[in-house]
Amino acid sequence: MDPAEVEFLAEKEMVKIIPNFSLDKIYLIGGDLGPFNPGLPVEVPVWLALNLKQRQKCRIVPPEWMDTDKLEEIREQERKLDTFTPIPSLYYMELTKLLLNHSADNIPKADEIRTLVKDIWDTRVAKLRLSADSFISQQEAHAQLDNLTLMEINTTRSFLLDSLNYMYKLRSNLQPGRSQDY
Amino acid sequence: MSFIPVIKSEFPASLLQSSESHDHSDADLIQSLVFQAWLNEKFSPELMENKSELVECVMEQLTHMEENLQRVRKGDVKASVHRMEIDRIRFVLSSYLRSRLQKIERFFPHVLEKEKSRADGDPSFLSPEEFAFAKEFLANTEVYLRNVALKHMPPNLQSIDMLKAVPEPCLDSFVFLRVKERQENILVEPETDEQREYVVDLDKGSQHLMRYRTIAPLVASGAVQLI
Repeated sequence: MDPAEVEFLAEKEMVKIIPNFSLDKIYLIGGDLGPFNPGLPVEVPVWLALNLKQRQKCRIVPPEWMDTDKLEEIREQERKLDTFTPIPSLYYMELTKLLLNHSADNIPKADEIRTLVKDIWDTRVAKLRLSADSFISQQEAHAQLDNLTLMEINTTRSFLLDSLNYMYKLRSNLQPGRSQDY
Repeated sequence: MSFIPVIKSEFPASLLQSSESHDHSDADLIQSLVFQAWLNEKFSPELMENKSELVECVMEQLTHMEENLQRVRKGDVKASVHRMEIDRIRFVLSSYLRSRLQKIERFFPHVLEKEKSRADGDPSFLSPEEFAFAKEFLANTEVYLRNVALKHMPPNLQSIDMLKAVPEPCLDSFVFLRVKERQENILVEPETDEQREYVVDLDKGSQHLMRYRTIAPLVASGAVQLI
């Protein structure tokens, strides 16, 4: 899966904005939004929030977890434990990138947040590489990966799945059978 | 002017799983079903069951919304929001149909064989258009192979069994999944000869990595989601 497609999925998440225009309710295929009143917060999907922000029609309110203290706590947790800690949002990486790229002016201490999230990401991806390595070398057949986000899974997806499939084929080639997919 | 999507009564009853009759939750359900179908089709090694009802319903919504948009002057804020949403849903739908076509092209003899051997009452794996496409693809491939190679072979080697020539989908591929409904006693087969098989319980909301074969029926029933 393309990282762009993972970002596409992340854009469905809801975020609070403060519009500077007024509009009555919009009935989208995916649900209702609004009504929009200047100065009053309203929840919209991220794809809409970004578009409105680019047209300078709103201010984006950062999600609760996008705060330096909370993120520092999470980073410490992540560095201490060997397992993956639960993180506040399944799409933390994508949301951080999107919101910081388009509305850094609305988010306090944007640079610190960027560094913190990058640290958390690096630690988690390193742990993922280690566990993928041990999964393959011990030839396990099953793994539980709660608390892993889609973007992290996506970084190893093609390599891990392809290697596991090829290993399976090499092992099962000892038995005669119908032609298998190559 | 407000654009209201196709109202609830036009949704096929089989797509509504909740008994609540509320416009918004149904609309949201349709959209999440499309996304789920898209992800499942993308990550599964074999062709999933055909969801033509869902596709038709979504197409109806999209054309209805497009018609509404035609009647409104350009530059309206609402119109642009609706247009963005239409583009997003259209992307998901096209990507879904494209994954299915790719799999049909890759496994065409097996797909056609499966379709031929299903009982009359069972739901079909291919939509009528996909079925026609698969048959044409088979016919064209046979003609091509005949003209390029087979007719120059000695007479007793001029036939080819497509079912043997084209590899089958590998159901033992590994997939990532997220559990939507708790499942118990899922068998995990061993990789090596020294290991023994064991069972695992799948808790709701957990994510796993395992072979597709054992959980294939769960994907079809919607109890797990491929990610």
